[in-house]
Amino acid sequence: MSIEDQANVPLPEHPQVALPAGVSADSPVGRLAATVDRLSREVRTAQAEAEGRALIELAKGILVERLGCGPTQAARQLAELTEQAGTTQLEFAVEVINQAARDRMSEVTNAFLAATRAAEEAAAETAAVRLRAAESGALAADDTQAVAESLLEQALRPLGAVAVAIWAAGADGSLTLTGSAGFSPAEAARWHYVPPDVATVARCALTERDGLWIMSTDDRGLPSVGRHHYPDGGRAAVPAGTGGRVYGVLEIAWPTPMPEQPPQIVRQVEALAELCAHTLETYTPPGNPSHESRAMPDASELMDLADGLYDPALVLVPHLDTSGNLLDFRIQHVNSRFLDPAGRPRAMISGSLLLEAYPMAAGDSELFQRIERVYATGEPFRARRMNLTALVDQVPLAALADISVSRHGDGILFIWRIEDETARLASLLQHAQRLGRIGGFEENLLTGEITWNGQLFDLYGRPETSPPVPLEELPAHAHPDDAVTIGRFLRTLLHRRRPASAAFRLQRPDGVTRHIRVVAEPVLDTDGRLLTTRGAYQDISAQHWTEVALAATRDQLAHTEQHASERDRLALQLQRAIMPPTQAPLQVPDLDVAVRYRPAEAEQLVGGDWYDAVVLPSRLVLLCVGDVAGHGIEAATSMVVLRNALRGLAVTGAGPGQLLSWLNIVAHHLTGAVTATAVCALYDPDSRTLRWARAGHLPPVLVRGSDAAPLPLVRGLLLGAVPEASYEEAEVQLAPEDNLLMYTDGLIERRDRTVEESLTHLLSTAADAPGTLDQRLDRLLTYSRSDTDDDTCIVGIRVG
Amino acid sequence: MHIAQDPLSVEVTLPREDVALLTVEGYLDVDTATEFQHHLANQLHHGRRHFLLDLTAVPFMDSSGMNIILRVYQEARDLPGSVHIISPAPAVRRILDLTGVSITVPVSESVEEALERVDGLAKAPEAEPES
Repeated sequence: MSIEDQANVPLPEHPQVALPAGVSADSPVGRLAATVDRLSREVRTAQAEAEGRALIELAKGILVERLGCGPTQAARQLAELTEQAGTTQLEFAVEVINQAARDRMSEVTNAFLAATRAAEEAAAETAAVRLRAAESGALAADDTQAVAESLLEQALRPLGAVAVAIWAAGADGSLTLTGSAGFSPAEAARWHYVPPDVATVARCALTERDGLWIMSTDDRGLPSVGRHHYPDGGRAAVPAGTGGRVYGVLEIAWPTPMPEQPPQIVRQVEALAELCAHTLETYTPPGNPSHESRAMPDASELMDLADGLYDPALVLVPHLDTSGNLLDFRIQHVNSRFLDPAGRPRAMISGSLLLEAYPMAAGDSELFQRIERVYATGEPFRARRMNLTALVDQVPLAALADISVSRHGDGILFIWRIEDETARLASLLQHAQRLGRIGGFEENLLTGEITWNGQLFDLYGRPETSPPVPLEELPAHAHPDDAVTIGRFLRTLLHRRRPASAAFRLQRPDGVTRHIRVVAEPVLDTDGRLLTTRGAYQDISAQHWTEVALAATRDQLAHTEQHASERDRLALQLQRAIMPPTQAPLQVPDLDVAVRYRPAEAEQLVGGDWYDAVVLPSRLVLLCVGDVAGHGIEAATSMVVLRNALRGLAVTGAGPGQLLSWLNIVAHHLTGAVTATAVCALYDPDSRTLRWARAGHLPPVLVRGSDAAPLPLVRGLLLGAVPEASYEEAEVQLAPEDNLLMYTDGLIERRDRTVEESLTHLLSTAADAPGTLDQRLDRLLTYSRSDTDDDTCIVGIRVG
Repeated sequence: MHIAQDPLSVEVTLPREDVALLTVEGYLDVDTATEFQHHLANQLHHGRRHFLLDLTAVPFMDSSGMNIILRVYQEARDLPGSVHIISPAPAVRRILDLTGVSITVPVSESVEEALERVDGLAKAPEAEPES
């Protein structure tokens, strides 16, 4: 079977050799050139044929495996199937491999086929063949140089690329050119090694760990191999890695500026980079023993190394998903110094996945990303005072640590040192014991040896040179009343061998009594015998007395509060019962009467304001507002007394002056030196006259038309101040449409201005208010400038 | 808080052995009345019979302050003795008039005037106290 007539390997378009000007094709030089050209074409054809044959052999192998037949039968099968499909044997072989492989390459070729099918079927078919051919060539090649040549010829020239470089990444950040094609040998030799930290195109791709696509090399100004040959050409550099590990970079050069590539092309190149990774994986830099060997060291060696360290260390190995992507790291080993921050046993951490054991590693500290990067590039990571966070019982705890992460073969060694942890903890404990006044002890019951810390000697009031007191002799040092408590404590600890605690009064040799809490636990040997007791004493004297005092205060406070709120509530109920906020209208001919009562906002400020408007048997109308000084239940009860007294007294038919005189006697004899102010008026509907008197209260305001003015300040002392007082009376003749307002000082009282100013404001508000009497009263309440949160009463009449 | 903002200052001098002159400075209200009362009770306890209350520097007085004055007025009247208010600010004067306290407790323009009234009372002990 001749390859020649079966394999239709698409050869890259190759330009005829351009002869220098003036050189004739017939000249010896020209003939030589033509020969060279012919020979090289033959070499390329042979190479292509060889790669094509390799693909067909691979397809045959797949058929042998799938059909369970021999190689001869498989070859016949392939030929028959090819004939039926009406395609070339090579293309069919690619189809068979794609079917069998279902790998990334298939994905790329399928996507490529789908994308270009509409354009030109044949071209798409050949692209599929091209990629497979490149893969086959790359896998067959025994060194990276051959891979580079194969990639360029099979896969990259069709994309318009002219040169390719394959870089191996060193753990120190250096790059070594392990294979190239399309660059001149001299240029490749110049670029055989790029030291660490030199920003080249390939280096940038490695740092970013992502493909770098540059339209024109000069635009970015990044140096790279062959830049001077193709100064404005496009470049692509794609990290070559598999399974989360980056082995190097695939760099491709175009001769001219490269427009943005479609996703299919990008994926093709990524697939090719992955191909390179497979060859780089086994690459060992030649002749440089100081370079890291890529051969897998024995994992046990790394574990030995970890065990030999005096810092906590983890050995991590990559954990890949089914398609070979790095998911996580498995904690292969933890060394003996390792202490889990969350307190889990070592065996529980060993063998688990890093992110499962330490989910916070993926958090702000970016620890996981750092490890991932070390694994990918091999560049070690070291940091001092890095902030690490561990979840302890769902509580994130932060610690500062020095970190070292390095790659050894396929494993990662992760070492950390919590800053001066031992010293820090010891000092922390010391301070805690001192501040908490805690004394620690340990008693060996076999040897009788007792260890106390210095704080415990202090608690006992004994010099540190004196012998410690055994636990069993505790009753002799305690208050006799605590003997039972201590007996129970010792019995639980020594006889029942269980942790115990007790509070008792320690009587010190210096006569001081301290309240002490003792906690202790038994330490048993494997046979369950009691070996040691250990525990701590804590001086709770301060705490004890604070608690006692607190408890007493709390009780008292609760009682007072309850009492106070009950009283407030009672006062409020009383006032509401006596004085509803509004009152049913009085049935008086040609007279509107309206009242308003606004309680204080705060319950405890229930005041002693009152109003009354009632038709007397004489058909006179009694109008009254009053204000008992103070707040709370005393004021409210006094208010009730005065209001009812006035109602009763008014029935006698006496005038307002006399009524207030009597009311003064009532107020004076109330308990608790009560004073009150009041204004009292009797309105005669027949004559429209109002007789009134006041006891230390603001006089009524008369609103006539658009004028508002207070009635004159007739003489009258506030109620209750003296045993006997007399009150001047006044009379005012009212006219239809007149309004008269009586109010308590809750309406006007302000700290920052005089009664005059407040009154002026009230008068203007009262005068401005048109409409009904009710509206006028509402308006007065609404626009009140009072700032004392006092309760407020208003009584208003309007003559009809 | 209020005390910090408007502290009440009460200065006591003795123009006569049985006469206490209390010079008050600050608001006389529900927050400061108790302190004022303590000063007065202290002077009563020491046997003073006449109380001169200089209210020149009291910008505001509410019913609490008024009640303290009325209480010492009643106590002094039983001794017998007297209470005099000296030069109240217009706002306080207005309250005194409004509540009728100025009817019962005489208001003087100066300490001298108040002392003259005290001396007048002493010369005529048989005079009827005001009602």
